[in-house]
Amino acid sequence: MSLLKNSLFSAVLVINVYSLVYGELDSAPSVSPAAAAVFKPGADSAFPLSLLSSPDDPYSSDYCTDLLHIFGQRYVTYVNCLVPAARPVKVCQNCFSSYGSFVEIYRNISDEKGPGNESCRDQLLRSDRLMLVYLLYNNLKDLWGRSNCDQCITENFHSLTNDTLYFMTVHNQTISCFQKYEQGNHTDLCKNCKPFYKDLNELYSGMEKNQTLCIDIEDAMNMTRRQWSKSFNCSLPREETVPVIAVSSFMVFLPIIFYLSSFLHSEQKKRKLIHPKRARSYTSMMNIQDKLS
Amino acid sequence: MSNITKKVSWSSRPDESGAAGEGTPLLNGSEQPRHSRQLSEEGSLFQIGRLSTVDLEEERTSDEDSLRGRPKEIPHNEKLLSLKYESLDYDNIENQLFLEEERRMSHMGFRCLEISRWVVCGLIGFLTGLIACFIDIAVEQLAGIKYQVVKENIEKFTEVGGLSISLILWAVLNSAIVMLGAIIVAFFEPIAAGSGIPQIKCYLNGVKIPRVVRLKTLVVKVCGVICSVVGGLAVGKEGPMIHSGAVVAAGVSQGRSTSLKRDFKIFEYFRRDTEKRDFVSAGAAAGVSAAFGAPVGGVLFSLEEGASFWNQMLTWRIFFASMISTFTLNFFLSIYHKNPGDLSNPGLINFGRFETDSVTYNLYEIPLFIAMGAIGGLLGALFNVLNYWLTIFRIRYVHRPCLQVMEAMLVAAVTATVSFTMIYFSNDCQPLGPEHTEEYPLQLFCADGEYNSMATAFFNTPERSVRSLFHNQPGTYNPLTLGLFTLTYFFLACWTYGLSVSAGVFIPSLLIGAAWGRLCGILLASLTSSSSIWADPGKYALIGAAAQLGGIVRMTLSLTVIMVEATGNVTYGLPIMLVLMTAKIVGDYFQEGLYDIHIKLQSVPFLHWEAPATSHWLTAREVMSSPVTCLNRLEKVGTIVDILSNTSTNHNGFPVVELVTENDEGGNPAKLCGLILRSQLIVLLKHKVFVELARSRLTHRKLQLKDFRDAYPRFPPIQSIHVSQDERECMMDLREFMNPTPYTVPQDTSLPRVFKLFRALGLRHLVVVDDENRVGVVLFFFSPPVTRLPLDVILMHFFVTLQVIGLVTRKDLARYHLGKHGLEELQLAQT
Repeated sequence: MSLLKNSLFSAVLVINVYSLVYGELDSAPSVSPAAAAVFKPGADSAFPLSLLSSPDDPYSSDYCTDLLHIFGQRYVTYVNCLVPAARPVKVCQNCFSSYGSFVEIYRNISDEKGPGNESCRDQLLRSDRLMLVYLLYNNLKDLWGRSNCDQCITENFHSLTNDTLYFMTVHNQTISCFQKYEQGNHTDLCKNCKPFYKDLNELYSGMEKNQTLCIDIEDAMNMTRRQWSKSFNCSLPREETVPVIAVSSFMVFLPIIFYLSSFLHSEQKKRKLIHPKRARSYTSMMNIQDKLS
Repeated sequence: MSNITKKVSWSSRPDESGAAGEGTPLLNGSEQPRHSRQLSEEGSLFQIGRLSTVDLEEERTSDEDSLRGRPKEIPHNEKLLSLKYESLDYDNIENQLFLEEERRMSHMGFRCLEISRWVVCGLIGFLTGLIACFIDIAVEQLAGIKYQVVKENIEKFTEVGGLSISLILWAVLNSAIVMLGAIIVAFFEPIAAGSGIPQIKCYLNGVKIPRVVRLKTLVVKVCGVICSVVGGLAVGKEGPMIHSGAVVAAGVSQGRSTSLKRDFKIFEYFRRDTEKRDFVSAGAAAGVSAAFGAPVGGVLFSLEEGASFWNQMLTWRIFFASMISTFTLNFFLSIYHKNPGDLSNPGLINFGRFETDSVTYNLYEIPLFIAMGAIGGLLGALFNVLNYWLTIFRIRYVHRPCLQVMEAMLVAAVTATVSFTMIYFSNDCQPLGPEHTEEYPLQLFCADGEYNSMATAFFNTPERSVRSLFHNQPGTYNPLTLGLFTLTYFFLACWTYGLSVSAGVFIPSLLIGAAWGRLCGILLASLTSSSSIWADPGKYALIGAAAQLGGIVRMTLSLTVIMVEATGNVTYGLPIMLVLMTAKIVGDYFQEGLYDIHIKLQSVPFLHWEAPATSHWLTAREVMSSPVTCLNRLEKVGTIVDILSNTSTNHNGFPVVELVTENDEGGNPAKLCGLILRSQLIVLLKHKVFVELARSRLTHRKLQLKDFRDAYPRFPPIQSIHVSQDERECMMDLREFMNPTPYTVPQDTSLPRVFKLFRALGLRHLVVVDDENRVGVVLFFFSPPVTRLPLDVILMHFFVTLQVIGLVTRKDLARYHLGKHGLEELQLAQT
């Protein structure tokens, strides 16, 4: 039951990721071979070179071609890492290092000067309308930004933050507890794993307040909560119906009593009529009658 | 006794009557004679002179004994006019003091006046914006604390059990806060109850509602509205903003506060009803614009609701005030939200921005919108009918302040209870969104990571609920939740409006409408099986909100613009306009707008745009009050004091005539030479401007317009002015102070003509004169006023050839209205 739902959810997410990657690439039809290359591991090493080092381009230097080559490789590595990590989401924990190197090479292209003080920035990034390299980089950067991975990774993509690691430990404890009791009665599970789950929940709420969440943690927590509430049915039961109904019907009765008593006991407000000074009230009345009839 | 025709002098017992006859369309046709007779039995206080035929034998014998000795009393109903309301003096009194002052004023002086008008408008906008900002922040903070406390409590008890305690906590918190608000309103300033829009509407119409524009009212209003919104009632804080703006305007433009006894000695020229009323319309506009972030809507609101007297410069100034108000609010809210200088977040209620791709609508949706408008009209009419009966009940039975406070507390408690029960039994759980649009998500029995969808609608301030109904993604609410919510909130809002707390009806209406509109959107989307998303629920929520609001308040032009401005999307102009039109047409078929109902129930002599349609045959002779209490040009102080002190005839304007004999039988009408107001007489008495004193004291300072302005607007009651026995014998010369050229009409003028004069000129008194007026009189009007000259007497002789036979006031006109059975007449009553 839980697996089925998980897989359903993961399918949706995968589709999302794919459409993200493909969607952008599709918008530029001329890139389709490159896109194919990205998702065919193994075919990339020879293919880009043959295409990139075209001798007819007098403007591209060897240095820049090399950079572009490395860029391609790292791009592929990163995307290769991403796709398997899509479900359950582990894009931050698994791929932060490859993303780090990917960003590094892009920085090299855009900022650094090569031998002879030449810059590949203009050559590679903005010499055509498509600006493919820039586009590819931006896509992945956007993906990274959306997944909030910066919150879980230390500066310069060295490692996961301590918070994240701690969360993962607690999470693993909870999951192992779930696995331990999964077979038997779920009420046992609810009772025995409650401390773990509660700790995890509190930790998560704390991190939520500190804004130190990345998609990995969110997803892990979501899945755990889903298991807890939906699969094991450990959420709180609605069992106080009678007192709630009693109190609310009492409350609803109060105004009825109030209105009845004020109707019966309160003195009705009367208005004193005042007679205006009129010149010819009777004739005017007659006039009204006459003229209407 | 019966079947006699006799002429009754005005001080004798005016046996009157006229069995108007059964089946007459006039309401009081069969009732009026009886009471009036009784009134006259009470004493000859009612100087009713009538030429009447008595023909009602059977009624006499049956009623006379039972009714003798006490005035006729009837339960409060909508067909009354209260004596407590007076007109504003919009008409300028061009007496000699005024002309002298005008002569003294330089060209520069007029320039300065114009500039100070702009300054006042700017100040009005600024202060109104500040007040809006204060209310907004206070509500947000206090409601935040309340919801946080209740939320923590609910979370705690969800786990360990005992949710009924949370329910009680919520109810008690609500009623405690509401109690505070209700106490200050019921005990200190009852006029601050409700949204204040009916009152402001009346004020702009030219009716002086007592205490409506005082500082105390403002304070009570602001505190009251904070309490009632924080107390979780089904109310909004927008209506009160309009009232607050009006009070600010009335206060600022006077350059002083009578309540605080501070006079800043500025803007003295504006201390009269004409100027004040113009500024109040600017204040109301500023209030609307602060409430909805709709400057143009504010201007149009003033135009639609109030301004019979409109000119281009005034409009431009009002617009200035509105703009300043919106952007003051913006500026201070941007500081509060910690991005100072950002001016793009206007309005107390911010409907949020509708993204352009979700707002597209197509031609084939227009009929759907119109149908929704019709539903809005129907629901609005139902709302108004229910509220009408409830309000009548409240006026009749729940009129003691402590009862009103109790009622408000009960409503608050029940609101909390109903909300809690709804939330408790709701099974609609939705996953928490990534950006947490829900302010206080309640999980309750939902799975972890999900929240109770009913709670976003109920467990929130109404503005936030409206916004989430407009903007949450499709699928956030399930239809059952929305249906239940609409139903309960409809009755809660209907029940709440009219309590003695200050609170508006805009937001609850929007909320009801948004809920059923969203429901419509969801149902439409589910009807069309295809996966197209043309029926975006947010869009239909907006249309539903407009329809419901239009159905309840029946505003047209200004509401359209307000909605368009509040959503910040002009493409919705057409559908919103169509929806509001439909709602108004459908709703008017059943019942009037809510504000009009409340104006009627308060017995206000309100003049609509036009006279009743079938009233051309009524002439001024039948409409006017007669005989008129007149004063001589040289009048004995004692007489004036007696006339003013007469509590039964609380007249405010007295035609000044030449030579009225004491025992005038009414057959010899006096000759008109001017009109003087009660307030003027009181100031004159206070300063003892008597002919004899002026002679004896040569150094006596001449009275100036300033003395009248200083006494404005709270002229002391006549009782507080002491006049000694000797002084009673003195004479007062009224010629210098009276308005020498009051508007007059011949007695055969039709009612619609008289009505038009009143509506267009903002008249307070209209003198009905004899047919025999001569042309020479009119010529005299243009000659410069010459006074205190021997020649004067001769000139006056020409002047007085108009003979006063009656006086028309606002109440004489407002009593005719078109009812279900033709033209009906309202009765005057003391309230």
